Amino acid sequence: MEIKAISPQSMTMQNIATKETIPELIIEEVSKNYKLLHRHRLTKENIHIGRDYHNDVILADPHICPSHLSIEFVDGKWKIIDHQTVNGTFIENVKHKKHAANQYIIQDGDIITLGKSQLRIVFNNHQVSPTLAFSPFESFIDLMRHPIALFLSILLFTIVAGGVFYFNKPTEVNFSQLLVPAIGMTLGFTIWPAGVSLVSHLSKHDARVMTQLGVSFAFFNLMWFSDILETIVTFNSASNAILPMIIMLISIALAFSLFWLNSYIGFHMSARRRIIIAASITGLLFGGSYLVRYSNKPEFNPRPQYDATIMMPNFLVAPSSSVDSFIEDSSKLFDKTSKEAQKK
Amino acid sequence: MKAFLTLVFLLLSSSIYATEQAEQLFNQLKPSLYQIKLIDKASGEKSSIGSGFQISADGIIATNYHVISSYALHPKKYRIEYLDSQGNKGDLSLQRVDVINDLALVSRTSQPDMPYFKLSKTTPQKGEQLFSLGNPHDLGMIVVPGTYNGLKKESFNDRIHFTGSINSGMSGGPVVNKQAEVVGVNVATSGNAIGFLVPHDKLVTLYKAFLTTAQGSIEEQMSEQLLANQEKLMSEILNSPWQAKQLGKQAIIPIIDVPFIRCWGDSNADKADALILTAIANCSLDENTYISSRFFTGSMEIEFRTMNAKNIGANKFYQLYQQQIAHAGASNRAGKDNVTEYQCHHDLVKPENNAINNKSIFCTRAYKKFPNLFDILYLSASIDKNKEALVSHFTVAGINQENSLAFTRKFMEAVSWK
Repeated sequence: MEIKAISPQSMTMQNIATKETIPELIIEEVSKNYKLLHRHRLTKENIHIGRDYHNDVILADPHICPSHLSIEFVDGKWKIIDHQTVNGTFIENVKHKKHAANQYIIQDGDIITLGKSQLRIVFNNHQVSPTLAFSPFESFIDLMRHPIALFLSILLFTIVAGGVFYFNKPTEVNFSQLLVPAIGMTLGFTIWPAGVSLVSHLSKHDARVMTQLGVSFAFFNLMWFSDILETIVTFNSASNAILPMIIMLISIALAFSLFWLNSYIGFHMSARRRIIIAASITGLLFGGSYLVRYSNKPEFNPRPQYDATIMMPNFLVAPSSSVDSFIEDSSKLFDKTSKEAQKK
Repeated sequence: MKAFLTLVFLLLSSSIYATEQAEQLFNQLKPSLYQIKLIDKASGEKSSIGSGFQISADGIIATNYHVISSYALHPKKYRIEYLDSQGNKGDLSLQRVDVINDLALVSRTSQPDMPYFKLSKTTPQKGEQLFSLGNPHDLGMIVVPGTYNGLKKESFNDRIHFTGSINSGMSGGPVVNKQAEVVGVNVATSGNAIGFLVPHDKLVTLYKAFLTTAQGSIEEQMSEQLLANQEKLMSEILNSPWQAKQLGKQAIIPIIDVPFIRCWGDSNADKADALILTAIANCSLDENTYISSRFFTGSMEIEFRTMNAKNIGANKFYQLYQQQIAHAGASNRAGKDNVTEYQCHHDLVKPENNAINNKSIFCTRAYKKFPNLFDILYLSASIDKNKEALVSHFTVAGINQENSLAFTRKFMEAVSWK
């Protein structure tokens, strides 16, 4: 309803502008990949663009002529006039490929290339994208970047890392021997959020280092937890069970969520694009590790591949099978391998 | 002094006598001895050598299976050639194999009045002097005197223990008594003048079977023999008493009371800094059936291991314990051409007596050329005590499904806590 009410009004506004009031034009200096560098709002019928100081828009690019081009308001339309420049002026938009811009009638959103610089021309009635609502994760993100929460999650991560080293060491170890690898591992895992922050800083977004760190370590801890859960489930189930497979999906989901949040915090992009990026990184991580394992697999493995997960009796929750059912299940392997043997 | 001199004289004369006798025997038997070569058809060069001896007037020559095994498995790639004492060469064709006793019969084109070895009708006496003949390392036919020392008692399939140096290349050569009758066939050596022979009665049986029964393909013969051998072995094992024995402080393990399975033990009680006190009992069948240089079967290995945590918590104990059981492998050598990859099943298992709760793993792989034969591997880890564990493990190579399952069941029920 509201949209209908607005559009005729803006039409009249445009009509008024063309007939009576002085026209308004927004010129944006943009980088090669269309990132906004600078924005000018001009209210003139004759706009001059060039390198010397009497221009309305002064550009420092040495490939631009002192008086490069003008944009004139004629019959309600904006027209480009190229002043026979050395390197020329070109126009580029959604419909047309790059072509010479002299005498061209400008449309909303056109990109003008002059020298090595680019300008985007926007009319003041240019349609902007709808307002982005805060995601429901916002409160979680706020909580995680709080210094106390951040400290606690990094501490938890370090303790678990130290524990893993302790449990796997076949010899006696003292505290300082554990401290070094645990802190080393924590620092290693800091590389990811720090890297994301660096990239978002370089791409003219907020770095938000604390937030990235907080969210990443919260998820790293969740991944420890899902690992433990996976071990418990594997330990408690027989080889033909489905539950361990489902548990593995949890770690994939966790990784996806982490990458989604990283890009949510670090970059402005559409929801669809964010999902695609998070999914791609997840795919790269899991698919890549699968590929590495697959490519290292020998053509023939003379050793049996079995699951040897065992845990202390406290973690045992599943009932044990009888010898009969174990023998019964094992007997199926003979048919399977016999079939395999007959294949050439 | 006189006595000493007499002794020296006696020793001297007896050794001279033995040498003379060996020489005489050798000259008498030489015409029926052959060097057997496997010739690679593509390169035209020999790929393995051994010895053989003629046992019938119509040109049947006995040798070891392992001398001609490459031909038996890849008849298109090789041919078998003989070289006799006069330097004559000729082709041989493979007739029969006994893969369990490592024997093979090959035949040459017969000529009139070919001399041949007589097979003995009696077994030798312990201490009796025997003469081993063969062509070691392609150095020419030789004769080696030695002593008969009875049958090797740990062996499931009979082998004669011969004190005398048998070297590679002599494989398949005959061992004769003073009457020049064959009492055994050279087959293996254990270094330092300990040699092993296949008793002549195995050869008699094989030759009789060759004369009387129709023969299938070499592969079928092997398959049949392997199946029959595992049946004989497993029925003896399953019907023998299994004695319950204590291992470590609390574990009860079965010891199979048959002479051909021997056990050894070890522990790390001397290592003061070890976090886990481990005791190991290892029992194995001293048998290895040669199929090819890359494929052995017929072996069996049983291992028990108890572990007690010293100064560590249950969590760490189980973590280290898991590392101990993560890498079990086959005990026999086998490759891609011979077996499939292992397929495994694992589950938590508690026997009916409730005396132990285990995580048990059973794996098997099938033989590609011999249907109904498998290698099996079983590994079980107790999971019911916080700082104490019992691992029971076995591998059996070349066994059928029925025996595999019967053995596994009996084994699982025999392992428990005290």
